[in-house]
Amino acid sequence: MIKIENVSKSYVKGKKSIDGLNLEIRDGEIFGFLGPNGAGKTTTIKMITGILNPDEGDILIDGKSITKQPLKAKKEFGFVPDSPDMFLKLKGIEYLNFLADVYELPNEKRKERIEYLTKKFEIYDNLNSEIQSYSHGMRQKVVICGALLNNPKNWILDEPMTGLDPKSSHDLKEMMREHSKNGNTVFFSTHVLEVAEKLCDRVGIINKGKLVFVGTFEEMKNKFKENKSLEDLFLEITENEE
Amino acid sequence: MKSKVFSLTKVILKNSFQNMETAKSTNENKNKKSIGMIILYVFVFLYLAGIIGVFSNGLIKELMVINQEQMFLGLILLVIAGFVLIQSIFSAINVLYYSKDNEYILPLPIKPSQIVAAKTNVLLITEYFIVAIIGLIPLTIYGILTSASILYYISMLIVLVTFPIIPVLISSLLVLIVMSFAKFTKNRNRFQLIATLFILIVVFALSFTMNDSTTTPEQMAQMVIKANGMVEMLRNAFPTLGMAIDSLTNVSLGNQILNLALLVITTAVIYFVYILIGQKLYLKGAVGNLASGKKTKKKLNEEKAFRKSSLSKTYIGKEFKTLLRNPIFFVQCVLPAIIFPILIIGLTIMGMKGEQNGVEMDIASMITNKTSIYLGIGVLCAIQFFLMFIYISATAVSRDGQNAVFMKYIPVPLMKQIDYKVFPNIVMTTFMSIITIVIVEYLFRLPIIYLLLITIASIIMGILQSYISIIVDLRKPKLEWSSEYAVVKQNMNLIWPVLLGLLNITVLIVLTVVIGNLINSYIFIALIAIVYALLTIATRNYIKNNTNKLFQKIY
Repeated sequence: MIKIENVSKSYVKGKKSIDGLNLEIRDGEIFGFLGPNGAGKTTTIKMITGILNPDEGDILIDGKSITKQPLKAKKEFGFVPDSPDMFLKLKGIEYLNFLADVYELPNEKRKERIEYLTKKFEIYDNLNSEIQSYSHGMRQKVVICGALLNNPKNWILDEPMTGLDPKSSHDLKEMMREHSKNGNTVFFSTHVLEVAEKLCDRVGIINKGKLVFVGTFEEMKNKFKENKSLEDLFLEITENEE
Repeated sequence: MKSKVFSLTKVILKNSFQNMETAKSTNENKNKKSIGMIILYVFVFLYLAGIIGVFSNGLIKELMVINQEQMFLGLILLVIAGFVLIQSIFSAINVLYYSKDNEYILPLPIKPSQIVAAKTNVLLITEYFIVAIIGLIPLTIYGILTSASILYYISMLIVLVTFPIIPVLISSLLVLIVMSFAKFTKNRNRFQLIATLFILIVVFALSFTMNDSTTTPEQMAQMVIKANGMVEMLRNAFPTLGMAIDSLTNVSLGNQILNLALLVITTAVIYFVYILIGQKLYLKGAVGNLASGKKTKKKLNEEKAFRKSSLSKTYIGKEFKTLLRNPIFFVQCVLPAIIFPILIIGLTIMGMKGEQNGVEMDIASMITNKTSIYLGIGVLCAIQFFLMFIYISATAVSRDGQNAVFMKYIPVPLMKQIDYKVFPNIVMTTFMSIITIVIVEYLFRLPIIYLLLITIASIIMGILQSYISIIVDLRKPKLEWSSEYAVVKQNMNLIWPVLLGLLNITVLIVLTVVIGNLINSYIFIALIAIVYALLTIATRNYIKNNTNKLFQKIY
């Protein structure tokens, strides 16, 4: 479970990039985080993962505060950043082993997880090459494998489908569903509204640093009492806030 | 043709200079900071100019006493040639081939010769900054001291503009030839490393032969007797050196203009030939270098592939792998630690050869307490000087670029990660210190305990520098870069290790002059080691207590 409690963040004095954000992503839920460019999605994700410190408020990952118990909290999630260009001079297997060492995975478990994930994403045969030689999609896959290596309870994914081929995208979505079915949490940001509509149990829409909607699609439609597509509803919600 | 070369030169230069300032700060802060930085650069420039000025003034006056002042001109021009040759080899590989802008430039409708011309212009313009310090200042002082006419100053400016062109062309040509083999290679990284090392060896060999005089003792005696005869020794050390010297020294106006014209024409012809070769060779290398080579799937060795390691081993291993597998980082950050000792060894061996012709001295028996202090401090100063060029720690965070945020979301304490990141710097500085000390021991046969004390002091000095350098990088990391080259060559942070190094050298020298005579040499070096150790502990504690604040810029 991820709990965001009254969080605010400013990059420039007097101008809040995130303003009093409250959000709870429950166990067993896939939560989609939507919003226009520059709305505050990545800033929020950076605060959840400890990359940025909030100016006010706190974030709890399975009850552990990212500001007060950062090491414990960081062990509770796996994170896929928006850019997959990670450690390009390392070989795929070196990168995954490095992460397995960081998350203290024992030999047997690491072999099983690396084989399972990389075979699922069809990059097992490329593991002995440098990540630099991978295509964008393959880099995305190796980063996803790294994030899921220690089988964390909470998945935090920033634009995870970008660059994935249809099969891998389908597999990742299946894995997200399976993970949430087992009582775990998946939190991801996306620009692709169709993905959010089909995959998410609930969505949150952020605009200019403020959360303007949280709920299911049904709730969204009921709230606006209109039988419009998700795209139209999204545009209406974000434009009304202008 | 001209306008395309001009536009491309402008764009590449502009891009380089914009890359120099990437800190995220508000306008008000930016103004204050940039004024501060300008003051700092002016200070550094004046400091260097001062040192060079004082040195030049002394040397010219000494040479004037023996009627050999023109020797100074030859020496300065030779230094410019050697310096530009070595300096431009590093930048030529990067600017011509490793720079990321190639991905955008190559698809444009621009001829290879135009790209080569523009990139060579960029190299030259960068070299002129160095020439302004090591050439303009000494030659102006020479003009003043020899009461030269206005013609000398005009010739001087033309010489300073034209003379560095050929060393740059030699380096670039060498790079063009070697890199044209890139298309035949399967392993791009390995090729880049081997090619870089090969080019460096050739250039160093060239620089050494420039200094290798073949004058016989009889000729030498004649040169010394004749007024300004010694400069003759240097005339043939570099292709256009004779013309450049004559442009500055000839008494008759006609001769001076003739030599200037010769210098300009020779340079222009060589430039033209170079561009023609560039037209033929450039694309072969540039395209070969961009292609990632034939993709071969190497099978995993399943027995070894999934082995657990300790966190320290795996983290430090990752740091070393990214340093060694990236040719730019390897050349700029790691190689100086290896090259400087090799240069010392080379010079030492050459010195030894010279000594065998003369009277061999038993240096060891001449060492007193006073001289051993000077020697010890001299070694520490030399090692500190070399330390200023090892940038592993000063770029440890910036090298990760936007990946640096990785440090903040993995469950590993930030202080531990800093220790791991600093470690390769400590290894390389220790390696460099030990080699330097072994050579010193070979030459001076110092008592073993004294030698051990110097070794300990220099290693601790290296550790101290490693931690201070990472603070500099953390406070103003350069995370948004388009080419690895920007991290080491367009990174003004690297001025800090140089400044602190110069400060350390100054303090060491002042201390030696003030209390060197009053204290035992062993105790003196031991005290210095203790002070360095205390400073290292204090620096590390500062980082430990301020990790969150120091990591604020990484997001």
